[in-house]
Amino acid sequence: MSIRMCLRRGSAADLIGLGAGVVLAAPVLVGIGYAAAASLGVVGPGATAAGVERIARVLAERTTWRGLGLTLWVAVLATALAMAGAVLVAVLFRGAGWFDRVARGLAVLPLPVPHLVAGALGVWILGQSGEIARVLAAVGAVRMPAEVPALVYDRWGIGLALTMAWKESAFLAVVATALLATRSVDVEDAARTLGAGPLQTFVRITWPILWRGLLPAVIAVFVFVAGSYEAAALLAPSDPLVLPLLVADRASDPDLGRRGDAYVATLLLLGIAVLAVVAHEWTRARWEPLDP
Amino acid sequence: MTGSHLAAAVPRPGPGRIVRGVLLLALVASSLAPLVLLAIWSMSGRWLYPALLPTEYSAASWRALGAESLGPALVTSGALAAAAGLVGCVLALPLGRALARLRGWRRHVGAAAAFLPVAAPPLALGTGLQVVLLSVGLGGTVAGVLLAHLVPAVGYLSLFFLGTFTLFDERVEAEARTLGATPWQVWRHVLLPMLRGPIVEAVALGFLISWGQFALTLVVGGGAVRALPLEVFALVRAGQDRAAAVGALLLVVPPAIGLAALRWAAQRTAVAPA
Repeated sequence: MSIRMCLRRGSAADLIGLGAGVVLAAPVLVGIGYAAAASLGVVGPGATAAGVERIARVLAERTTWRGLGLTLWVAVLATALAMAGAVLVAVLFRGAGWFDRVARGLAVLPLPVPHLVAGALGVWILGQSGEIARVLAAVGAVRMPAEVPALVYDRWGIGLALTMAWKESAFLAVVATALLATRSVDVEDAARTLGAGPLQTFVRITWPILWRGLLPAVIAVFVFVAGSYEAAALLAPSDPLVLPLLVADRASDPDLGRRGDAYVATLLLLGIAVLAVVAHEWTRARWEPLDP
Repeated sequence: MTGSHLAAAVPRPGPGRIVRGVLLLALVASSLAPLVLLAIWSMSGRWLYPALLPTEYSAASWRALGAESLGPALVTSGALAAAAGLVGCVLALPLGRALARLRGWRRHVGAAAAFLPVAAPPLALGTGLQVVLLSVGLGGTVAGVLLAHLVPAVGYLSLFFLGTFTLFDERVEAEARTLGATPWQVWRHVLLPMLRGPIVEAVALGFLISWGQFALTLVVGGGAVRALPLEVFALVRAGQDRAAAVGALLLVVPPAIGLAALRWAAQRTAVAPA
């Protein structure tokens, strides 16, 4: 039903609800509009005349695409690791006993840790003179910090991905644990009664319930990781720059004419966010209906 | 019988006890150890490589809390987060209720609109907000930063109230109206008492969302609003690990207490979030 049809039928609830949606999305839509106008050279730093030259120049730069590639790589790796950890916890520690409860409690401990603190912990633990390096030195595996693989400012963003996976695994563990506690038990029980083995039950019942239920949360985690600035500023390499760092770098460029380039990178980031929102809601519509 | 009891009754396909034990140890190492280390760092004195633990301990970083930048930043962050929690809840409650009354695809469009400010990278969100707030004279002010924090907070809390009102039985409200209650009386005597639990949870969630905000505070505050995350970031960058660890602990403890309280409240609340 279109907005015009809503008006014709006088559906006040629909109009108010969609109006609420417009109010909520407005700040982001304004941001997208401003970033688009600044990318076209209409407003903002370095604005001269309207045109697509700036967008074409930034998109032609290898730095932009390498930055986008690293951003997506880190987000995919961190999300996959976080999901694997969450699924392991949910599947292996789903009982009501103290052992399982302790394990689930430990798994959600990183939940209240802000991204900034996670990034700082990443520096202090994964750095070449951090805690892991000290443990390796204590067991005689390394003699000098330089012998420890670099996981801070490393070229592939492994340290950043590990840190974000640690932080976000807690959120996914909460969702996965809730899914198995509320949705799978009766069906699994029925499957076993009908003669399914443990592996068959997992493959045909548990896993489908888990991945369908987890998918919206997984998409949310992906976009949170891709857009995180503070952890990236502490852990990500300086070449290439992940997109949030590229935005900050261009916005403070000594050449005023290049500061507007930050808005093109901003548009890329917002594009990822919009795609993630569409995917998130599509998966919810498909498998997690909102209607009561 | 609850879900957890049912879960316990179902025979598990069971990996061996050794595997579960190893995984539990891995969880202790990966989840608990970093937070314990944070506390040790904040109390460390001399701690040179390759020592596993500090060779000297000192409370100097904690004692300096009042005199250095962390103390005022803690107050600023606390005030910002409290205001964001309260104002965010007041704004999000009617928005979430309006979204919950949508049906079919319109409800998904509404939910997507609410999720958009949550999913938008804070730095990208901040660049647009900065321009608007600067144009109305709020750039670099606490009020401007609060407005910026409210954008993701209201989005998140609207989704929270969307879930709450989805489970809410509207017949209670209709019955009160049938008995002659005015809309205000319905709110005052029916809805607010029923929603007390979710409202408290929403205020706490709004607090937590604002508490950890870094990029929005940096961009909109322009460095003039010194909230706790900005100070901790500067200390980490400057290599002042002990002071940074104190600030990091201050950033972790309120959310940890808040989340524990939320879990406790959620178990007691009749109208639970979706």
